[in-house]
Amino acid sequence: MMADYGLSDMTGTMTIQIVFNQWNNPEWLWDFFTKNFSDLESFFKITDVDQAIFDTMEDGGELECLILDISPDANLDLLFRPLENSRAAEMTLGKEKARLQNRMGHASWLRLYAIKLETGYYIITGGAIKLTRTMQEREHTLRELLKMEQVRNVLIEQGVVDIDGFEDYTNELTL
Amino acid sequence: MKQKTLDYLESHQSETPSQWREEANWRRENKAWLRHSQRIAVKTLSFMKRENLTQNAMAKRMNCTQQYVSKILRGTENLTLETLSKLEAAMGTQLIVD
Repeated sequence: MMADYGLSDMTGTMTIQIVFNQWNNPEWLWDFFTKNFSDLESFFKITDVDQAIFDTMEDGGELECLILDISPDANLDLLFRPLENSRAAEMTLGKEKARLQNRMGHASWLRLYAIKLETGYYIITGGAIKLTRTMQEREHTLRELLKMEQVRNVLIEQGVVDIDGFEDYTNELTL
Repeated sequence: MKQKTLDYLESHQSETPSQWREEANWRRENKAWLRHSQRIAVKTLSFMKRENLTQNAMAKRMNCTQQYVSKILRGTENLTLETLSKLEAAMGTQLIVD
């Protein structure tokens, strides 16, 4: 049985559950795209909020199925990629993102965020609809960035991953 | 390293198990009609925003309760043909194309 690792809110609801519920909730999506309409228009050239909602629900369903189908032996590293596009090397407790690749029409704006513990082990910290080039540009994506940083710091403080051990391990991989 | 990490995660796991897998499986199993329900929810919501209608006002037009309109707007309701007809009449538009 595969275990799901992720953050929970005060009620014990996992972040991944909250995110997928939002991406399936027409009213939540309507509010989001109405508030962020200028980003939708300027970055994706989409002026129809209804279409943006349909696309989100469609992509959310596909992304959810991808995660749902991941077996314990499957390679999670094919789904998650380094958050920083320029990062090629392993990083201790690296910040990672998952998104749909090769979407028809426009690029998918859905992102799941996670901290990579080690190969095949990720803690999902949240998700967002990213309509801008960088995460720092909007409050809701900046919040996800800070959340990843906080989780990473806690894991380091708690000694969950032995930094020396991790570095030895990654050095072995690169030899 | 793996065991240490797993021990930490297990010692910090929530007392209430996540419902996400159950919900995700349900969405996948019911995808075919859910897609229609979600599209109708968006069209209804869009109409209500355009017409500046509250859920109560929409309920009056449909001769149903506000709670039922709220359910329709969640996009998870397996709508009957009767409800679809009421929606079409309230919005003056066709949801089922011949």
